[in-house]
Amino acid sequence: MTGTFSSLNTALSALRYQRIAMDVASNNIANVSSEGYVRRRAEAVALGSPQQVAMWSRYDGSGDGVALSGITRMGDPFLDMRSRREHGQQSYLDARVAVLDRVEGAIGEPGDTGVSAALADFRNAWQDLQSHPESAAARSQVLAAGQSVADALRVQASNIQGEMSDQRGHVLDLVAEINVTAQDLAAVNQNIADAAAAGLDTNDLADQRDLLALKLADLTGGDAKLGANGVMNVTVAGVPLVTGKDASTLAVASGIAADGSADGAPLVFSLTGPSGTATLGAASLKGELGGTSELLTGTLPDYLSGLDSVARQLADTVNALHTTGYDANGAAGQPFFSYDPTGAASSLTVAITDPNGVVSSAQAGTLDTSIAEALGDLSVADDAYQRLVNGFATQVASSKRASTNQALLTSQVDGAREQQVGVNFDEETVNLLAAQRAYEAAARVMTTMDSVLDTLINRTGVTR
Amino acid sequence: MTTVRLTQNMMVNRSQSAMQNALVRLADAQEQVSSGKRINRPSDSPTDTTSAMRLRGSLKATEQYARNAGDGLGRLAVVDQTLFTVTDLVGRARELALQGANTGSAGQSSRDALAAEVDQIRDELLNQANTQYLTRPVFGGVTAGAAAYDDDGSFVGVAGAITRRVGDDVNVRVDVDGQAVFGDGATSVFAELDALSTALRAGDSAGLATSLDALSDRATTVSTMHATVGATYKRIETAQSGLVDRKLNLTTSLSNIEDIDLAEASIEVSMRQVAYQAALAATAKTLQPSLMDFLR
Repeated sequence: MTGTFSSLNTALSALRYQRIAMDVASNNIANVSSEGYVRRRAEAVALGSPQQVAMWSRYDGSGDGVALSGITRMGDPFLDMRSRREHGQQSYLDARVAVLDRVEGAIGEPGDTGVSAALADFRNAWQDLQSHPESAAARSQVLAAGQSVADALRVQASNIQGEMSDQRGHVLDLVAEINVTAQDLAAVNQNIADAAAAGLDTNDLADQRDLLALKLADLTGGDAKLGANGVMNVTVAGVPLVTGKDASTLAVASGIAADGSADGAPLVFSLTGPSGTATLGAASLKGELGGTSELLTGTLPDYLSGLDSVARQLADTVNALHTTGYDANGAAGQPFFSYDPTGAASSLTVAITDPNGVVSSAQAGTLDTSIAEALGDLSVADDAYQRLVNGFATQVASSKRASTNQALLTSQVDGAREQQVGVNFDEETVNLLAAQRAYEAAARVMTTMDSVLDTLINRTGVTR
Repeated sequence: MTTVRLTQNMMVNRSQSAMQNALVRLADAQEQVSSGKRINRPSDSPTDTTSAMRLRGSLKATEQYARNAGDGLGRLAVVDQTLFTVTDLVGRARELALQGANTGSAGQSSRDALAAEVDQIRDELLNQANTQYLTRPVFGGVTAGAAAYDDDGSFVGVAGAITRRVGDDVNVRVDVDGQAVFGDGATSVFAELDALSTALRAGDSAGLATSLDALSDRATTVSTMHATVGATYKRIETAQSGLVDRKLNLTTSLSNIEDIDLAEASIEVSMRQVAYQAALAATAKTLQPSLMDFLR
């Protein structure tokens, strides 16, 4: 049975609700550029007759006002998941492109300063020696040109090695960052579970949770799924990284020593959690860590070994010819190049220091030039090197294309997500205005009720 | 993708990425124009990079071949000049032999004078046989010594070919085997002249006749070798002019692959500049209005 003052209560409930609606709208506007913020909506529910009628009871009211049923976070777990997946892929490609771009810039082809030019100059120097076997200058020139080739190959090799060393350090940094992020996410999961149990608002925690899950996806390409009570569980290559309030610890099992140097073993990671330790191969990862690992285990070592084989081929062929002839003093030719078989390109150097040691003659004591003639025509290393550069350039070009395409896809998915969760000023302004007007109207209801009651209390029975 | 709901953030992001893209494209076009190169790094076009590397290699080789050819011509010119002189000297010796053989018109004293001139010619021929090009005797083969013949007229060089590379797989021989021109020891032109000198002094008409025959043969040998040198000279000259053409072709091909078409690239830059300005203008317009501007 409705009481005399029930309308006042109804108006009061409206005032309360509309104030919350204005709070939510202003909070949305305030957080328009907060990272990870998902817009909220104040949900209203009309209060009225009980949902289940008790036996023998009756309800003859006409509605008891409004109540806040909850503040909805307008997120979409499906879009979040897609966004995370695309971001993981994007980070993978971006990590590759950034490094490949740098390495490629240092190759210096096509140009006047690269290995290719040095090889051509080396051949030309031999031809000059063929023309002037009597000239000590021509022999010195051959030595200098040989040294240029060795230098050009060594510079490239050391660039690659430097890049690999940087990337090893980067992997260690990433692992540390992933562990911190995973622990943060586990802590947020714990808070969400606690808050949900206590019936508190978990929306801000959910924002944090999604942000951390996105960051983990960026870093590892990990797969994040919502669990019970709004906690986020993350698995990397099928192995749990964060499960509820528990975070596993990622570590480099082999491949990189603690000081960032290579330990010679293949790159393998380990994930240690409450249920034991699992190993992860470098190839099973995505995200920035996966991209960096791929560079360290595939692209960069492949290019380096390609350079090594170019250097070996050059040195072996030149040496084979050089040692069959006789130098300017009539002595048997010594090997022209020397290298360390474990890293030919980075250790290639001209073994001869005395220009008279350069061989042009196949007959001792004469100015024969058949060796110089053969060496002036040598192009085995050129072909191998051109193939190497072509292969590498193709990889870089395809990575760049893939990254550009992925960026389009990522921005589309991000756009779709933003459509859902982003704050629109116009919308919020309208919501704000509507709430303001509703608040004013509820206040008017109160005034009206007050006036009605005034009539009832003060004017009833008064005839004057 | 249909947009069901648009937010200010989306517009900001879209504007930003549109401006960024336009700027990147503008920078790419500007890089091409300012460097003048279409390929600034291998991944710009892997295939063209390989072609460019090959062409650059060939271009360098062609330049080197041209240098080798020039050097070879210089050397052959010396050989050619020397063989002219040698032909003259052998011819003069033959004339002297003929004069000496004409015994009716000459006494012993004039024959002695002829013999003295023959001795002079022998010394001069020996000088010519030891002609040097850049400190090396041109008729000495691959010898490391400074002379092709010693004073006795014996060959002291080392037979062997001296070559210049004037093309891929084209090595041209730019020397003449001294023994083929001058002979060696007892069969050398020097021995023949010695015999002539002796015959003149002795008034030996049979000896003079032998010498005359020998010198005629020698003149033929020298001119045959001379013709060979001329042919080689011609061959290198032909190769050289071929190299000039080839260099031009290679430069053109390289330029086609590596260089930009300046007119096209400039227009491209202008177009991208316009696109960038349009993106800026659109951003300036779209980001301004909101409902706030109309509510009072």
